[in-house]
Amino acid sequence: MENRELWASLNMDLEKHDDFLSGLPGVFTSLFLDRPNRPKAMGYFDMIVGDIHGIRVKELVALKEKGHKVFSTFCVYVPEEIIAAAGSACIGLCAGAQYTVPAGEKVLPRNMCPLVKSTMGFKLERICPYFQVSDWVIGETTCDGKKKAWELLNDYIPTYVMELPQKKKLADTAFWEHEVKEFAAFIEQETKVKLTGDNLAEGIRKINNKRAALKRLAALRKASPAPIHGLDVLLINQLAFFDDPERFAGQVNSLCDELEERIERKEGIAAENAPRILITGTPQPIPAWKIHALIERAGGVVVGEETCTGERYYKDLTEPAEAADQMLSNIAKRPLNVNCACFTPNTGRLEDIVTMANDLHADGVIDFTLQFCQPYSVESYTVGKELDQQNIPHLKLESDFSEEDQGQLKTRIDAFLEMLK
Amino acid sequence: MIAAGLDIGSVNSKLVILEDDKPVFKKTVPTRFDPVSTGRELLEQVHREYEPQEIVVTGYGRVSFPESRIITEITCQAKGCHYFYPEISYILDLGGQDAKVIKKNSQGKVVSFVMNDKCAAGTGRFLDVILKGLDLAPSDINLALEAEPVTINSMCTVFAESEVITLLAKGTPKLSVLAGLFKSTATRLACFIETQGQPDAVIFTGGGAYYRPLIHQLEKQLSSKVVVPPEPELTAAYGAALSAKMK
Repeated sequence: MENRELWASLNMDLEKHDDFLSGLPGVFTSLFLDRPNRPKAMGYFDMIVGDIHGIRVKELVALKEKGHKVFSTFCVYVPEEIIAAAGSACIGLCAGAQYTVPAGEKVLPRNMCPLVKSTMGFKLERICPYFQVSDWVIGETTCDGKKKAWELLNDYIPTYVMELPQKKKLADTAFWEHEVKEFAAFIEQETKVKLTGDNLAEGIRKINNKRAALKRLAALRKASPAPIHGLDVLLINQLAFFDDPERFAGQVNSLCDELEERIERKEGIAAENAPRILITGTPQPIPAWKIHALIERAGGVVVGEETCTGERYYKDLTEPAEAADQMLSNIAKRPLNVNCACFTPNTGRLEDIVTMANDLHADGVIDFTLQFCQPYSVESYTVGKELDQQNIPHLKLESDFSEEDQGQLKTRIDAFLEMLK
Repeated sequence: MIAAGLDIGSVNSKLVILEDDKPVFKKTVPTRFDPVSTGRELLEQVHREYEPQEIVVTGYGRVSFPESRIITEITCQAKGCHYFYPEISYILDLGGQDAKVIKKNSQGKVVSFVMNDKCAAGTGRFLDVILKGLDLAPSDINLALEAEPVTINSMCTVFAESEVITLLAKGTPKLSVLAGLFKSTATRLACFIETQGQPDAVIFTGGGAYYRPLIHQLEKQLSSKVVVPPEPELTAAYGAALSAKMK
């Protein structure tokens, strides 16, 4: 099936969708393809972006024709393993484009997280085929903005909301385990697939393999000179949310093989003395590339992301178990090790940032917050204090998905890199 | 050695030429929304008349001169201020387009900095817009030192403008409104400085440092000394020239 036929069959607004996608090839070429010395194995990921609303969407349509379902998520806390176990697809949705923000503002307040507005806009405008192909959105109660937006989104697509606790005490762990088991029952009912020890083990294996591959890639960024641009890794982290998990893990591992050879030869994409930057803060969903791009254009190199489009997504694996019930318990345990600013207290995140900065030999940390994200912007104060104590230089940046503040961001980033020299 | 520093700001472009660390030429011209030709003209003059060995371009217009050595205005500001006041760590720069607070160390190197968010609030532009609305002669501005400030709550340029109009319509004296404007700006800037620490003294630079009532209000709110370099709009250009020298 041709892409346009596919998109029409998904009831997309073709005209708006053309307009939305028209800018992407130019941006992608200048930010990614024109950069010298990229690893050859990036070819696969470039190809995915080259047909970002084609290949994978067709696979999902084919999956649905076989009677499976597509579940869309926006958060690393949603247990992918359970969906994979039922043979259905779990995809993280597009939420990082300015293009759909005005449409989102038709129903949401302007002074609100751009990620939530972008998401809402994609659905209202019918320009995201992943949204269109989805049977359900699986929301969660990480922040107030999302929590309330799900109520509105439910008018356009069935939305299931998981309640995430805000503390990590024993009672919260038990509560979340219950929430995960209830979700498992919901998935069984929706997919008509009984969850068993066998299929859950398989679901855990698949998703663990994907996380392990991403962890392997993250660890290779400790090398100096840096073997890969941070922007390339960010792209891979973004694609991790919607590609087929097994094929994706294979491709990431091939890339890692190539990078190991590079490291062996002491070959890098930047000079050995290029300032090494760790990013911490809010997610950068596809196509939000500007912070990484500005840093690397200014001569720095991003060596890690303590974000949901980075370390938080893959740092912990789910422990395997013998019985199905224990597997579900382990699936519930894993995400509670993730330190999101929606939890209080959240001191674990400070440890994560400092450990990453040290392990990756970062020269400085950039704390990036999306506008109007209260949990992360409040926590910035604590993060800054901790980094001061550790004598790690840091810079706070706040932005959204628009391009208009590139000049201001560039001055700040350039000055920060000068400061590190 | 002759070194030149060119600072292309959003309102004015500034040039400083140093010979063995002593200024031999200084010039300020309006940028007039045309950073490229303004910068080019100044650079041509520099080459023609002084033949400097090294040049550094800084300021928001620096990106238009990729063939030159470019350094951000943050690094240059710290260096330039260090030349005048090596013992003071904190710098407040109030320019046309942004406000920044820079903390430097004993070598004049930046250790941290913050800039206002993408909005005119608390910048030179904010003061410009409101002052224009008040229709006062520049010589009247210092009279605000004597006036009792009224409260102005809005920091958004557009909202503050309408707040000022309302106050004037109610018969509030212009000078009280002006004093209130400086007071509210000083409050915002003082909090901004205190996000970086508690200074004993602050170097105040940029065009905003010419407003004496603002300096007065800042000193009051920070309980610290505010010093202004002889030509506060030139310090980043000084810093650029000093950086040019140190290749």
